[in-house]
Amino acid sequence: MADHSVEELAPTPGDRATRFLKRADVKQTTLFFIFWTALFVVLGIYFYPKWMPTIMSVEMKSAEKIMIWFTVISAPIAGFVLAVATTAFMNRHRGDTPPPDGPAIRTNGPVVAVWTVTSLVFALVAIIWGLTEMNGQAVAAAKDAKSAITIEVRGSQWVWTFNYPAQGIETHELNLPIGVPVIFDVKSADVNHSFWPVQLGVKVDANAQVTTVIHTTPDKLGPIDVKCAELCGLYHAYMETTGEIQSASDFDAWVTAQGGHKA
Amino acid sequence: MSTLDKAHTSSRPVPNPKRSLITRLHMGTGVVVGIIFAALVYWALKNSLLTYTDKVADPLSPHDNNIVLLGAMFAWSIGFMAGIGAFIGPWRWLIGKDLTDEEILYLAGDGQGTKRYFKYCTDHKVVGIQYLVGVMTLLGVGGTMAMMIRTNLARPGGHFITATVYNSLVGLHGITMIIAMIIVATGPFGNYVMPIMIGAYDMAFPRLNALSWWVLFTAIPVLCSAWFLGGIPTGWTAYAPLSIQAGPGMNAFIATIIIFAVSTAVAGANITTTVIAMRTKGMKWNRVPIFVIGSTISVALAIPAFPTFMVSMIMTALDRTYNTGFFDANMGGSGWLYSNLFWIMGHPEVYVILIPGVAALMEIVPVFVRKPLFSYNAAIMGFAGIAGLSILVWAHHMYMAGWAPSLNGPFMVTTEMISIPTGLLFLVLIGTMWRGKPWMKLPMLSVFAFIWDFMIGGITGIYLSDVPADSYLHGSMFVTAHFHFTLMGAALTGAIGGLAYWYPKMTGRMLHERAGYISFWMVQIGFNVLFFGMFMAGAEGQPRRVVDYAALFRNSNLISTIGAYSVGTGMIILLWAVIHSWTKGKIAPMNPWGAKTLEWTVPYPVPLTNFDELPVITSDPYGYGKGK
Ligand SMILES: [Cu+2]
Repeated sequence: MADHSVEELAPTPGDRATRFLKRADVKQTTLFFIFWTALFVVLGIYFYPKWMPTIMSVEMKSAEKIMIWFTVISAPIAGFVLAVATTAFMNRHRGDTPPPDGPAIRTNGPVVAVWTVTSLVFALVAIIWGLTEMNGQAVAAAKDAKSAITIEVRGSQWVWTFNYPAQGIETHELNLPIGVPVIFDVKSADVNHSFWPVQLGVKVDANAQVTTVIHTTPDKLGPIDVKCAELCGLYHAYMETTGEIQSASDFDAWVTAQGGHKA
Repeated sequence: MSTLDKAHTSSRPVPNPKRSLITRLHMGTGVVVGIIFAALVYWALKNSLLTYTDKVADPLSPHDNNIVLLGAMFAWSIGFMAGIGAFIGPWRWLIGKDLTDEEILYLAGDGQGTKRYFKYCTDHKVVGIQYLVGVMTLLGVGGTMAMMIRTNLARPGGHFITATVYNSLVGLHGITMIIAMIIVATGPFGNYVMPIMIGAYDMAFPRLNALSWWVLFTAIPVLCSAWFLGGIPTGWTAYAPLSIQAGPGMNAFIATIIIFAVSTAVAGANITTTVIAMRTKGMKWNRVPIFVIGSTISVALAIPAFPTFMVSMIMTALDRTYNTGFFDANMGGSGWLYSNLFWIMGHPEVYVILIPGVAALMEIVPVFVRKPLFSYNAAIMGFAGIAGLSILVWAHHMYMAGWAPSLNGPFMVTTEMISIPTGLLFLVLIGTMWRGKPWMKLPMLSVFAFIWDFMIGGITGIYLSDVPADSYLHGSMFVTAHFHFTLMGAALTGAIGGLAYWYPKMTGRMLHERAGYISFWMVQIGFNVLFFGMFMAGAEGQPRRVVDYAALFRNSNLISTIGAYSVGTGMIILLWAVIHSWTKGKIAPMNPWGAKTLEWTVPYPVPLTNFDELPVITSDPYGYGKGK
């Protein structure tokens, strides 16, 4: 990466590359590069799936995938930066007087160019990935709209209320049938809240007077948590409830028990 | 300037303009006049707003109470500025008799010792020290609040403090730290060191310099009063309509932001003008030290950003006093309007904070590695690119607001583009280190910590900028951990590096090294443990700003709290080192690090006009190294 060849006599490019790779600090940097890159890859792959709650929708899956893969993709870049820094750290100078001057490298055109293009490519990958996922979710939502059940979500200080218009019930727990697309029409009775059915991986603010919409399709049976993700005053922390993703028959039974009817 | 030019001879009597009011005013008179004026306004407004029936029955309505409180707070600020003498100059100028040379010299504070730190002093070095003390105070207050927050969150169901107190702490910690971080580098170093670095006698507008500090000073008691007025329930973002619903403490928040915005506008105009107009002979743009470039870009970015914040606060105040309904959907207004105004300020603001910290480290690396700064141009492109893009990314804070979902795509594009100029900053730092042997002193240690912390902050920022991932992470502890990595891990680490680096020039003494090292490791290790726990809590699904949490989040929160105590202890050690070394530290040589920038060519104490004769510059300050 540096113009290490100041003292050399017209070496061939091959010679230069060989000498470069044989330099102690280059070897050191390469080792640290492998170490840090591997570490970031392992951290991303190990921790996020371990930490994140059960994945119960495509949206949640895509959030987790992005967290893992973006870590993996950025690992070599992070690895390189940290490798150079670690090598410098290992070759540190102690004492009360400054070290002797190093080589006067003002810049290095090719290095700056390669670096800039690399980060551009990296940014493009992230952008295209994100846009593709967003587009996929939007297309799925449009396709599923006809078969979807609609739930009117109302946030108020500090309760969530769910109205199932087709079923004619209103509850404070969010039960949903598995495999059926669901549209949440979200509104607030007072200040801003943010509707967050955690395991479904979607979220939208609840505002007064305007309805905001999100959709998802639960694809796994089991309990879910519903939280408020926008500071909404005194008991914001306690503005949470639970629900369950149920089989079609369980869901119908639950609706009936709530005094509603089959849609 | 000409007066100061002539004035610079070392042993002359302290100027003593006879019978000038200026000599009798100081912080104390400011406080007295401020309190009297605030009390008068309070009394007058209260009595004029009380109707006959109210007088008999009840105190003021909440709206009227807001008017009274806001009036009193602004009156305090204006009264203080009058009492310290800020308006004498403009008044004299108005009636056609500007300050005399003697009075101008007196204001510069030469030969007045410690007293001048409590006066309306125009010397940029005095203002720099005032900012340093102000920053440390704010960081101390904000840090104490953080400790209380973490203590409450140490275990689920903990009731160390009530929900009301907790929410207030979250908001006050946030705004205190944001204010502290905005001024953390440009305040102390931008004022004390920067004019010397560019070879200037002083700032372009010395009196505005004093104004910017003392106006900021008046905001501190106002902010503290929030605590006694029932706190703020909104977090530092002060989202409407919660802010409209909030109690009297909210007025203190509003007044603080408006006063602070005035201070930053004045400081920003002053710093940019100084750098544009007062560079010494030969200091072409490509020879300006990188810290100066970074600070200038940072304050230039703040100049358009903060007025937006100020406007949003004026509108919030109007909603709370005269029921204007700007942000109230029930009256035809929109909470989204507020969020937009807020983040149009809020996103540039994080780069206003970050850039000077990075720039300080870029000043440090060449000195300690004894190599030229790698690609000065890349550094400038990095700063300029970040500043330019940062005004186009604000709505990434609103992906999940439901406002204009079709804009999420475009905002994701601009946001992720920021990784390109950010990458350049990393390149400059590691490029400078390449093949070097860094001199392991305190300032240099901060560079390594910065690289690690900013790397984590950057990578986690990429997930958050991506809409599908943000739809899970938004509003969770993950976000809190991410921005602490950028603002604290990166920017504050940069500023602490800057402090260790410039401390000898600002105090004439070396910072206590051993205490510095102990503090560094306690803070950095504690910090990483603290926010590792918080990433974990966020990924597990814990919302941010919650006073309590489910048992599921027990381990992650305990990890965070343990880390927090290590950070707190480390910071106390640093504070001790700074205070102790100020009077008892080893006497610093003129240029302890062997640096080539101009501030190291002047002795301590730095003479009033910095230089006997302005230096002439023939190269940039990075001419280290063998070979060229
Ligand atoms: Cu809520």
